[in-house]
Amino acid sequence: MKISVLQENLAHGLSIVSRAVSPRSTLPVLSNILVATDDGRLRLSATNLEMGITCWIGAKIEEEGSTTVPARTFSDLVSTIPPAKTDISLHEPTQTLNIKCGSLNTDIKCIDAQEFPPMPSPDLEAGIEINVTDFKEMIKQVVFAASHDEARPILTGVLVTVEDNILTLAAADGFRLSVRTAQLSSPAPAPVKAVIPARALSELARISNDGSEVITMALPPERGQVIFRTKDIELTSQLIEGTFPDYQQIIPKEYLTRTILSTESFLKSCKQAEIFAREGSLIAQVNIRPGPEENSPGEVEISGQSEETGSSQAIMDATIEGEDIIIAFNVRYLREVLDVIQTPNVALETSKPTSPGVIRPVGDDNFLHVIMPMHLGS
Amino acid sequence: MSIQILPEEVASQIAAGEVVERPASVVKELIENALDAGADQITVLVREAGRRLIEVVDNGIGIPVEELEMAVHRHATSKLRQAADLFRVSTLGFRGEALASIGSVSHLTLTSRTRHQDLGGSIEVEGGEITGTAQLGIPPGTTVRVEHLFYNVPARLKFLKTDRTEKRHINKTVSRYGMANPGVRFKLYQDDELVFQTNGSGDLREAISAVYGVGHARQMVEVIYEDQNLRVNGFISPPGLTRSNRQEMLFFVNGRPVQDPALSKAITQAYHTLVMKGRYPFTVLFLELPPEKVDVNVHPTKAEVRFEEKSQVFQGVGRAVRRALLAHSPVPGVSNLRGVNLWGGPTPDHRQVQRGIDPAWSMLERAREETLVHQGEDDDQIPAPLNTPILRLIGQVAATYLIAEGPDGLYLIDQHAAHERVLFEKMLASRESPPSQALLESVVVDFSPASADLLTENLALLRGLGFDVEDFGPGSFVVRAVPALVGEASPEGLLHAAVEDLEADETPLENKVEEKIIARVCKRAAVKAGQVLTPQEQKQLLLDLEACQSPRTCPHGRPTMIHIPVEFLEKKFGRIV
Ligand SMILES: Nc1ncnc2c1ncn2[C@@H]1O[C@H](COP(=O)(O)OP(=O)(O)O)[C@@H](O)[C@H]1O
Repeated sequence: MKISVLQENLAHGLSIVSRAVSPRSTLPVLSNILVATDDGRLRLSATNLEMGITCWIGAKIEEEGSTTVPARTFSDLVSTIPPAKTDISLHEPTQTLNIKCGSLNTDIKCIDAQEFPPMPSPDLEAGIEINVTDFKEMIKQVVFAASHDEARPILTGVLVTVEDNILTLAAADGFRLSVRTAQLSSPAPAPVKAVIPARALSELARISNDGSEVITMALPPERGQVIFRTKDIELTSQLIEGTFPDYQQIIPKEYLTRTILSTESFLKSCKQAEIFAREGSLIAQVNIRPGPEENSPGEVEISGQSEETGSSQAIMDATIEGEDIIIAFNVRYLREVLDVIQTPNVALETSKPTSPGVIRPVGDDNFLHVIMPMHLGS
Repeated sequence: MSIQILPEEVASQIAAGEVVERPASVVKELIENALDAGADQITVLVREAGRRLIEVVDNGIGIPVEELEMAVHRHATSKLRQAADLFRVSTLGFRGEALASIGSVSHLTLTSRTRHQDLGGSIEVEGGEITGTAQLGIPPGTTVRVEHLFYNVPARLKFLKTDRTEKRHINKTVSRYGMANPGVRFKLYQDDELVFQTNGSGDLREAISAVYGVGHARQMVEVIYEDQNLRVNGFISPPGLTRSNRQEMLFFVNGRPVQDPALSKAITQAYHTLVMKGRYPFTVLFLELPPEKVDVNVHPTKAEVRFEEKSQVFQGVGRAVRRALLAHSPVPGVSNLRGVNLWGGPTPDHRQVQRGIDPAWSMLERAREETLVHQGEDDDQIPAPLNTPILRLIGQVAATYLIAEGPDGLYLIDQHAAHERVLFEKMLASRESPPSQALLESVVVDFSPASADLLTENLALLRGLGFDVEDFGPGSFVVRAVPALVGEASPEGLLHAAVEDLEADETPLENKVEEKIIARVCKRAAVKAGQVLTPQEQKQLLLDLEACQSPRTCPHGRPTMIHIPVEFLEKKFGRIV
């Protein structure tokens, strides 16, 4: 292999793929990045067997070839060299990669590309084009609600469904549920239902460009994998096996109280309450008091307290429809959902202190969030 | 097979010892006999935790009527003729004294018929004396009925623990044999209630699901291994499924359940770095090796073994487990390998014991050892508080230590550690009961009969802790809310953790609560080393420390004080030798 690339391109590509490297693997080759010439471009790939990322960068190819380079060494090195043309060549018999840039001349010991797990190129013909402008946003609105608890693998994933032209992402950790839908410009060839690790989706959100780049999603049959592909990037992830809970039945169909608040001040009050509640069990009390008359404004008080630090109460104006109620929530859950709501106003729908609360952006039917309440011990 | 009285020579080679310790040991001996007799259906009936009745019914080969009397004789066994045979034991019971021993401490009725005889017989033994015989028409097989166990040994009777504990031991025993013999249909009734049964299909995973629930059984990783010395088969838990104790590592050597710390160690090492410190996998592993390579006669109750080639066996077991773990499918298994932590952060091991020579510390250590030995043994055990003596403050050294005099010498107190202890106990005392966090969807959790029993008895306690949990049919519980103090742990994990604590006779989840409080103590500015304290502050700290329940350690388990006895001073000054 003999190529030359621009340092900026190389550094960019390495930063994208290195998130899939498994630094402490029993298979040394998984700590490496596959570097291979591929149809006029340079391909960089890393995988931890659960998730793989490939990035193609422009390069001048003099001689085809491939090897795997220790990820840490490679990235650390590339980040120190100046933004200029970098010459890379591989001495095949010893699997030594020589990198020359300016005054720098280094040799890195590599592992034969044969050892790298094969990453078969998927058939993207059958894929679905996700041409929504805010796919990144969609991901951010659900992934935080996925569980981190490996004891229930299914809940560490995001349920992705496509029916006709409706794309839905849903995640739940047992205490809360986030559901976001979007319309695709054309109906999918076949319905899709798959549980994708939340980690892989977060990664996808991180590496995909802002804006309206088209992402193709493919689920090759019988492989238990999902592939996301843009022009320069491909992310492959194992799917999580199992049945995702039927979340539709969890979403309350009605409410007794609907409270409309400014998203910003609700978020601020939650952050204030959290300062105190984080010492304990993160419990915050939400006291909803409708105005004295039918249409007069009501108020909402959010309080958090701790045995040591003290307590905080924040009172906000609100438009309240229905009865008064005092209900308690994990304030971090409230904060996390309010953080991803874009509309200026947000609605909180409640029924009983023991029933779930529903949060919806006002004027946007594509998102909803369910939070289970807390109860104070007796 | 006919029964013969063991020659004296053989008898004396066998370690004498009590076979019968508690109702569960009777159950164990009788089940082993039934298995030896080739039974594939074994029913165990227990009343009043075995004090009133233990009956084991099998459909094995039976005992010829004319040999019934011999069966209840000491050292009557049909399984062993010569001393040399002792080294080639492959049936389960071989010491020829189980029935005799049981018969000497109970009212025992032995009823049996072989397939070849038309009539069966029955013999009654009371405190070791044969009191009656009869001929009966009964189905082939053997029934051993043990009533009023220990009626003539009041000391033993007194030694028995609560019914709850004894039942738990019995449930454990039967479920172990159930797993060891998946081809045998076991049924266990406690006071007429069917609490455990296996289907006898021969499928180990099914037998495991009868004990641990379908959910766990499905996740278990299969082990199949063979080398020139031994064969290992069975199931191990994936790294994400762990216990807080080693008790659930079950081993069967040539079909016999054994306890061997070295084997548990081999397993723990194979899981090294895969499970968090203080967590242990659970296993059901069968080791098979030639009978002459194992000595099962180490312990009278036959739970221990001695291997001829110890290290080979342990290496083989370690290799078997490691290979199975590696081959274990990467998804979602790999994800299990990564974040094994159920509790969202490494557990500070605040029980860790540091070795030191100072007497205050060694006394504490002894006290700890005592509580450890008693754990799980005595239901009503309250650890004795380790108080400080009344101390007279002398002053501060190096802005870090306080010096005080007690009735028995000099005390050096670490002001930072001491203040942490004081804060910790204050917070522990002032804590409110935790709020409970409702679940989106209720979760059904399965337990083994022993754990289910324990859980049922403690439902009220668990509800006080913030669980919304309800009995949901045999062995199953439905959880609707969990205590909010423990973060994002799964409801299953949490409930299992609570039950493990109950099994260890500890307050459920107390460790987790304490960990949280410790974390807060650390954040709260405790008095630091290097901080000069006024005499009043020093005095107050001593007073506060004296008021603590466990003043001698900080919440992380480090000592707060060192005691230098007067004797030590006298020796050093040459006043005494
Ligand atoms: N359930 C049974 N079925 C058939 N034979 C039995 C059974 N229980 C005991 N025996 C016979 O009685 C003998 C004595 O039993 P026991 O006192 O328990 O000693 P051992 O240790 O040999 O089992 C056994 O060797 C066996 O022949």
